[in-house]
Amino acid sequence: MHPMNWVGMDVFQLFPGFMLAAMHSDVLVNGKKPWSVLVVEDDSQARRFFEDSVQRSPQLLWLAGMGTVREAMDWLATAPVVPDVLLIDLGLPDGSGLDVIRAAVTRYPNCEPLVVSVFGDEDNVLASIEAGAVGYIHKDAAPEDIAQTILEMKAGASPISPMIARRVLQKYRSLKASGAAVAAELAPAAVLPPTLLSTREQEVLTLIARGFSYAEIARLKGLSVYTIQTHIKNLYGKLAVHSKNEAVFEATRLGLLQHGG
Amino acid sequence: MRQALRRWADAWAGKRRWPALAVALAGFALLAAAAPERVTSEPTALLELHSGSVTSADGTASQREAPLTLPYHWDRLHQGRPGSAVFSLPFQLAAAPQRPWGIYIARVGSVFELRLNGALLQASGDLAEAGGDDYAKAPIYVGVPEYLLRSGDNLLEIRIRADSGRRAGLSPVVIGPAAQVRNDYFAPAYAWRFTGSVLLAGFSAIVGSIALALWLTQVDSGASGAARRDAMYLWAAVAEFCWAIRVADGAITHPPLQWVGWGLAMTACYAGWAVAAMLFCHHVAGWQRNASMVWMRRLTLGILLASLGATALSLVYAEPLWLTGWLAVEIVIFGVYVSVFLVATLARPDTARVLVALVALATFAVGVRDWLVIRLGDAYGETTWVRYTSVFFGVALLAIMLVRFHAASERARHWTAALAERVAARERELAATYARLEAVAREQARTHERERILRDMHDGVGSHISAAVRLLRAGASSRDELLRILTDSLDQLKLSIDSIHLPPGDVGALLAALRYRMGSRFAASGIAMEWAVDEIAPLPQIDGAGMRQLQFLLFEAISNVLQHAHAGKLRIEAADSAQALLLRIVDDGVGFDARQLPRALRARAQALGAQLTASSRPGATEICLRLARESPSAALEPREGGG
Repeated sequence: MHPMNWVGMDVFQLFPGFMLAAMHSDVLVNGKKPWSVLVVEDDSQARRFFEDSVQRSPQLLWLAGMGTVREAMDWLATAPVVPDVLLIDLGLPDGSGLDVIRAAVTRYPNCEPLVVSVFGDEDNVLASIEAGAVGYIHKDAAPEDIAQTILEMKAGASPISPMIARRVLQKYRSLKASGAAVAAELAPAAVLPPTLLSTREQEVLTLIARGFSYAEIARLKGLSVYTIQTHIKNLYGKLAVHSKNEAVFEATRLGLLQHGG
Repeated sequence: MRQALRRWADAWAGKRRWPALAVALAGFALLAAAAPERVTSEPTALLELHSGSVTSADGTASQREAPLTLPYHWDRLHQGRPGSAVFSLPFQLAAAPQRPWGIYIARVGSVFELRLNGALLQASGDLAEAGGDDYAKAPIYVGVPEYLLRSGDNLLEIRIRADSGRRAGLSPVVIGPAAQVRNDYFAPAYAWRFTGSVLLAGFSAIVGSIALALWLTQVDSGASGAARRDAMYLWAAVAEFCWAIRVADGAITHPPLQWVGWGLAMTACYAGWAVAAMLFCHHVAGWQRNASMVWMRRLTLGILLASLGATALSLVYAEPLWLTGWLAVEIVIFGVYVSVFLVATLARPDTARVLVALVALATFAVGVRDWLVIRLGDAYGETTWVRYTSVFFGVALLAIMLVRFHAASERARHWTAALAERVAARERELAATYARLEAVAREQARTHERERILRDMHDGVGSHISAAVRLLRAGASSRDELLRILTDSLDQLKLSIDSIHLPPGDVGALLAALRYRMGSRFAASGIAMEWAVDEIAPLPQIDGAGMRQLQFLLFEAISNVLQHAHAGKLRIEAADSAQALLLRIVDDGVGFDARQLPRALRARAQALGAQLTASSRPGATEICLRLARESPSAALEPREGGG
């Protein structure tokens, strides 16, 4: 079972057809070409494990596996095929997987990177999301869960842990506070996204941070699980876009503060 | 002897000035050069009357008439005895003038009447009253209507009444066309003697006021703590005020006191100025703390008293020699003092001493000149020069103040800079200390964190892995058992990592993370999960270590349900209130002996300061953890209830 199982389980309980579709590729990808998967992982044993997992799924197409940032960059620069999914480890021998994520989403905006993480810890996951990743896989997940997580993600599921949700909310609140302070001073409206999070997204994130599953949130808010997943997926996109602006924003804010002070 | 001295004095005062003195006293010589010269070779119309006849009476003999040659120095001719005189000054005019004429007299008095050809032109003061007004201070100008003058013989008659020691008498009389007499003779003399006196008095008064203000305000609290004023300023103030009054007398025709009394007052002022100036010099030289200061006080007091005595003798008994003699003694005393001061200044010169020494020397020289001219000479109409040199005294005092304030502000600037440097040094020291303390605190935090991680590794991953190793060694383990132990171990590790990020006291975040991390176990167990968790306010009393205890406690309690309870449903509740947070783990499993709560759970609850209770029967098992909130109002409640 994959690491987001409690979420996934609820989704499948609510939508049995969806679960079947995810589990049995014949139905879902009928008439569609399989998703191509690129793996960057320096642990050859783990790479082989991922390859097995991908090869075993008829809905997935194994592209290539490599162990360093350089190899990955070279491959991306001269890619014969557009990768639909990038499985990537962050700790690579010659650099950070974050660079590969950035390069991949810059070159192939439709490519969806999934980070391979041992612990799924906040800092790494948040950094990956901001670099452009749309989810992550635990390294200790069962082989069938790897393929399943990829397929679910391609079907619209976006896992987010309560810890990440809490961090995103915290960041959003502090950003709003400092943004308001700066806006009060010189109103640089163009710098800060007017609304990073919608009210609905905030509500959903707050409940996730309190430990509720998508299904429970759907029930509490009278929404469909699919809507909640869409909210989270949008949030991923916003965080990635925002992280690019953030550097500019921070610099501007500091500059303004210096100027004001 | 006396005659010789007088001739010498005349030479000083009069027409043959010593070039050497003129060089030495260049400044005063300039002033002197402006004094009006009386010469006989005037334009034909202008007459200077020198001769005629005089009838005088001074109480010693009956009235007598004598030929007259002006100037008429009463005190010299009558040995200081008061009396009266009538001067007849005949003169001839070739023709009666067509325009108004005027009469200029450099000095006449003490009081006088002026008649021309029998007509009274001016009466200044009461001829019958002795010791009252004094008109001998300022030069006189009297307008003459042209019709009073005749072609041929004319007679100018001047009556005076003379007080002793008041410089009574008559100086040569100038008569001629009004404009010429007024502009060439009267105006410059009046400017020097009257206006000059007023200005000098004003200047001295201002300098004195400044000095007095400084003496009053510049209080220096010395080492003894007692407030101490600088007496230098006091003596400067006394000197300047004495001098202001003394010089102002030159413009006072109607003194507030009768003569002799007023004369004594003026002597007191003069002597007061002199002794205060000496004391001022003493302070400038820095001798005020010497033993000489006692003698100095006695000496100055003596000078003051002797001056008054000599003046009284000289005026009351009409013996000017007493005062002249005493002034000579005084000059000698001042001469000695000035010499000592000069020598001391040469030995240890500084700006203030050099300035004062120069002024003292000049004043002394002028004082000698004045004594010779006024007290000994016959030059009637001359004025003292010392009144002008006193200006330099005031200027020197102002210069000393400026030098002192400059030095004081320099010192203040230096102290401020030194103080700023010390503050900066102290700030640097503080910053260094702070940095050291911070480093120590950081090191301590690192040590705590290391200890925590070691404990976690020991209690969690370490114990799990060693259990797995034991099982493998025993060779009796199933694959599932090993997988469970290793999964547990990894989960514990993930919880440890989560706990690093969990804010202390945030139990809500802890529960959410726990559910997330145990998600795969819930799913694998097939137990239906009910999540009934309120929004939980932070519990400040639970620190990082407490969070770990709570995490382990809940993890173990939930793991027990998953592994042993054979439950179909698991409900996790968190009910938050102002008094406490209640965490409940409820399942519908087989249950256990609630009296035998696992020791590990009890120990962790105890470490948390939480109340752990359990109730169990088949189908309904509940483990409840109560975390009381520490509210300040809770402590007050019993008292309020009692009241």
